[in-house]
Amino acid sequence: MNKKIIEIEDLVKRYPMGEAEFTALKRINLTFEKGEFAGFVGPSGSGKTTILNIIGSLDTPTEGRVSVEGEDVSHLSEKASARLRKEHIGFIFQSFNLLPVYTVFENVELSLLLLKQSAAARKKAVTQALEWVGLQDMARKKPPQLSGGESQRVAIARAIVKRPNIVLADEPTANLDAENAHIIMRTMQRLNEELKTTFIFATHDEKVMQYLKRKIHLLDGYVDKDEILESNTVES
Amino acid sequence: MKLALKLAYKNLIRAGLKTWLNALALSFAFVLIIFYNGMIDGWNNEARQDAIAWEYGTGHLRNAAYDPMDPFTIQDGHGVLPEQYREHLTPILVWQGTLYPHGRMMPVLIKGIEPGQTTVKIPSGVLKNSTAGYPVLLGRKMAESAGLKEGDQVLLRWRDRNGTFDAVEVTVAGIFETNVPFVDGGQVWIALNTLRKMTGLTDEATFFIADENYTPTPVDGWTFVDQKMLLKPVTNLINAKKYGAAFMYLLLLAIGLLVIFDTQAFSIFRRQKEIGTHIAMGMTRGEVIRMFTVEGAMYSIFAIILGGIYGAPLFIYLAKNGISFPVSGDTMGIIIAPTIYSIYSTALIVKTFLLLVISATLVSLLATRKIAGMNPVEALKGKAL
Repeated sequence: MNKKIIEIEDLVKRYPMGEAEFTALKRINLTFEKGEFAGFVGPSGSGKTTILNIIGSLDTPTEGRVSVEGEDVSHLSEKASARLRKEHIGFIFQSFNLLPVYTVFENVELSLLLLKQSAAARKKAVTQALEWVGLQDMARKKPPQLSGGESQRVAIARAIVKRPNIVLADEPTANLDAENAHIIMRTMQRLNEELKTTFIFATHDEKVMQYLKRKIHLLDGYVDKDEILESNTVES
Repeated sequence: MKLALKLAYKNLIRAGLKTWLNALALSFAFVLIIFYNGMIDGWNNEARQDAIAWEYGTGHLRNAAYDPMDPFTIQDGHGVLPEQYREHLTPILVWQGTLYPHGRMMPVLIKGIEPGQTTVKIPSGVLKNSTAGYPVLLGRKMAESAGLKEGDQVLLRWRDRNGTFDAVEVTVAGIFETNVPFVDGGQVWIALNTLRKMTGLTDEATFFIADENYTPTPVDGWTFVDQKMLLKPVTNLINAKKYGAAFMYLLLLAIGLLVIFDTQAFSIFRRQKEIGTHIAMGMTRGEVIRMFTVEGAMYSIFAIILGGIYGAPLFIYLAKNGISFPVSGDTMGIIIAPTIYSIYSTALIVKTFLLLVISATLVSLLATRKIAGMNPVEALKGKAL
């Protein structure tokens, strides 16, 4: 059995909505093991992004406990949660969130700069990450010169360059066409297999779902179904 | 800090023209502050040098009853200084009189000076060489206001020590040019011994001008006023000008800083996703604030570089060739040379540098404070503000 990397116990998240409160997550209990390729699926407003943000310590639970890499994110100081993200978590966003004034190389390098790695180590790691996503020839280009698919591959390289244990991907294919969506998913699938990185998605895209080995169906803040699909592999 | 500097530098350089336009706006303030202060310092230096050369020497030994600010003290503010104290001192006797140029009446101060003196730049040697009966020296401003030129004769009237009126035709033996209005306007310079004879004040003087070898010694009935004290009105006047000018360039600085504030505030609004991304990648809000603040501070560094590029040649030119004023300073009653040579001291440049960097940093910090309360989830969506 693999090591438990994320443990979620009785997670509740409420947001104020005017005078009242909106409950986005209702008593969620889940665990994730190292190397999983899992995803939260469900319609808009079901709580997919919220739970991803809490796991990524960008948001905090209202009730319950979420432990990531043994650290309870609900009680972390800002500095400690920043350190957790910096060292252990990579993010991939729907709109790529690349820094437009930096080159592809510099965008990917940024995570390593935050980790204060040496220039030589950074260069080696960035080159390797760009090779993983097949963009080694685009290192000097800037995001506005890239297509949507290429931009998302840069975002993947940026997320994995520091070899995090967890990568959280929020609707990573939403802005991509079908072909690019498959390229992106296959890239992440390969990285999951080669690097044993845990990938957790938030998606309602069928193209993503067919790659997942575990689908957690969310509906109105509840876990509706937790499916293990070990045989779910898509051939290129 | 090193990372903040690196990222801020990259962000600004890559922003291209926008960065340089902001820096240019701020550089105007930088150049103007140095230009104006350099000019004031140059003026200060020349004014002090001129005042020393023409009027003050290294100090004045005044008769205790004489106050140069009070004309009523002239009548009694004179005396005989014992011989043993007169070394390195040039006596000046001040007396009131009336000049009648072209039928007009002009109250004047008659100043007796030794024709052979070299302590001050009053060209008193002219009085010694003149063959006229009563040769006098006038400053250009005085000559112009009296409508007199060299060789002209004019009636001078005065009262002697006993109050008896007397008058004589004096001859304008020379007209001198000076930047110091206090030795020119309303004054008639005459040989000391002549004035002593005219007034009956044998061996007397109102004050003495000390040369550089003079050592102040207490003398009963006389007060030594040193150079620093004498220059105080000049220093005060220049400082007043400096503070007045500060308003103008601080206004310009404020405009430059407002540009930075606007740019940074807008930048934070526009770059919310970037801020969210930085936080998601492991930066604390404090680190993001530091990066944005350094960006703002860096504008001032770029402004200094830019200001240096176009300002340095201007400053070098002004320091070498000076800046000429169409209106002579003597018409304003202040010591001002026709050409002022600016002085740009290291202290001035360092002070201006610090003023710019510190104020730009503070303004930038003010603009970036909003990041502290930013929700990273909302920032990632670009909806935090």
